[in-house]
Amino acid sequence: MALLEVRDLHVSMGVQEILHGIDIDLGEGEIVAMLGANGVGKTTLMRALSGIYRVRSGTITLAGEDITNAPSHTIVARGLCQAPEGRQIFATMSVRENLVLGGGPQGLARLDEVLPLFPILGERMGQAAGSLSGGEQQMLCIARALMRSPRVLLLDEPSLGLAPKLVKLIFDLVAQIRQQGVSILIVEQNARGALRVADRAAVMEGGCVVLAGPAAELASDPRIVEAYLGGHVAG
Amino acid sequence: MAGTNPAMTLESVGLENHWHESRGLFGPNLPVPMDYYLQQLAIGLSLGMVYALMAIGFTLIFGVLNVVNFAHGEVYTVGAFAGLVVISAFAPPLIVVLLVVVAVGALAGVGLERIAFKPFRRFSDEASLKSRAMREATLMSSLAVSIVVREAVEIGFGSQFQTVPLDRLLNSPISLGPVTIVSGDVIILVVAALMLGGLQYVLKRTNVGLSIRAVSSNPLGAKYVGINTDRTIIWTFAVGSMMGAAAGILVGLYYGAIFPSMGFIPGIKAFVAMVMGGLSSIPGAVICALILGFSESIATIFVPSVWADMVAYGFLIVTLIFFPRGIFGGARDRV
Repeated sequence: MALLEVRDLHVSMGVQEILHGIDIDLGEGEIVAMLGANGVGKTTLMRALSGIYRVRSGTITLAGEDITNAPSHTIVARGLCQAPEGRQIFATMSVRENLVLGGGPQGLARLDEVLPLFPILGERMGQAAGSLSGGEQQMLCIARALMRSPRVLLLDEPSLGLAPKLVKLIFDLVAQIRQQGVSILIVEQNARGALRVADRAAVMEGGCVVLAGPAAELASDPRIVEAYLGGHVAG
Repeated sequence: MAGTNPAMTLESVGLENHWHESRGLFGPNLPVPMDYYLQQLAIGLSLGMVYALMAIGFTLIFGVLNVVNFAHGEVYTVGAFAGLVVISAFAPPLIVVLLVVVAVGALAGVGLERIAFKPFRRFSDEASLKSRAMREATLMSSLAVSIVVREAVEIGFGSQFQTVPLDRLLNSPISLGPVTIVSGDVIILVVAALMLGGLQYVLKRTNVGLSIRAVSSNPLGAKYVGINTDRTIIWTFAVGSMMGAAAGILVGLYYGAIFPSMGFIPGIKAFVAMVMGGLSSIPGAVICALILGFSESIATIFVPSVWADMVAYGFLIVTLIFFPRGIFGGARDRV
């Protein structure tokens, strides 16, 4: 059984159904990427998984426990943390306070394990989080989610709006976080970067998964190459 | 005669035409003695502290919910009446009265949240969160609760001033060189300073305080780090209402004036301080509350005290026209 199992997930906003039955399996220590253009429901999926949006039908199971429509704080306590779209850091509070809040009841207990991944944050501890650069804010956002020692980390567009050098840094970080035993579900428009680090990937279109498979296979699938990697398969 | 001034802005704390005789009257052409300025400054300080205690409750709640709690003035009233009931029944020392009032204030805040605010938070999708109708509905429900509470107190106790035992009034004179203040000035200053200090400690050093600041700073982010936002909102109401209730009993015993609609004017003054301070900044609200207190007590030297309320409204108009984001500007720690 997978660590995180999503079965036939339907999510609606008002009368409009956004997700029409999504299935995901995320195994222990695995990285799975969800790819797709803007507006196909990737962020809606991530918010439903974290308990921000209500699920209309279907189930979400974390390590055998049903967390469908559980309150967001319960889901975090069970070990599913997210670095959300738009970062959602506490801009008016210090970097240290952001990390304390990320740690929840553990506070800064995990700081020594998390900070080595993000050395730049160590130099910024007393600064207001809103005064950090975009890349630093993204790192703070991921570090904050790791402070709770999650079993599953959700990353929603971690590379959005970052310079190419930083994008590479973020994807390298994703690989390092996995080595600490965290399973990762990553949503990305940057298909190339996501496919490089992921084990498996799925492509979403119009609220459904239209294609899924091992990342290496998808990376050479002509449909993916044309639609998301901006090129043609040689030959 | 126009230009005479009965010294003190009594309306500003919900009371009219009642003040110690020691606060003199000065005609328009008489020189104002220096001591009198000092005396008014001392009064302004305690007045400002009362506004500050009230303004903090408004500001905290606006910070986490982005709505104005119109029932905050009634928390002040409830605090004063609770104190009076305790004094009449058991005549305990002031410190015990204060502790009971603070506890009653916390309960009142929690009850208020449950009745007037929580029912409107059932819908957490983005459309409802951004909906103005939703926020306005909450505003109306808090206004409704405030009317019900005020009328209920009036049915229970009558609309007239309550009799405060004379020995419980905080009006024993204290001479500081040329200035004579009363014990209430000192007690208000000390209690308010302790509560403000305690609040700073709670907000900076405790988990509850950090959660309150986090929800104020970014409610969605707070959910992602696993903060129980509903519980945090309840805490916010409890903390804010403790301050408001304490202000109510202190002012009640200072002026000997406890009556069902006593919370209205201080509520408005605190609201003005909150707006001047930038809506969600506690330091801003406290500083502006003090400015308001000083300005009102100094203004009574020059204009009739019935005009002193104009000071607050004047400040509000100037703030709204020239500093729409508050006189300390925009981006800042919201709580």
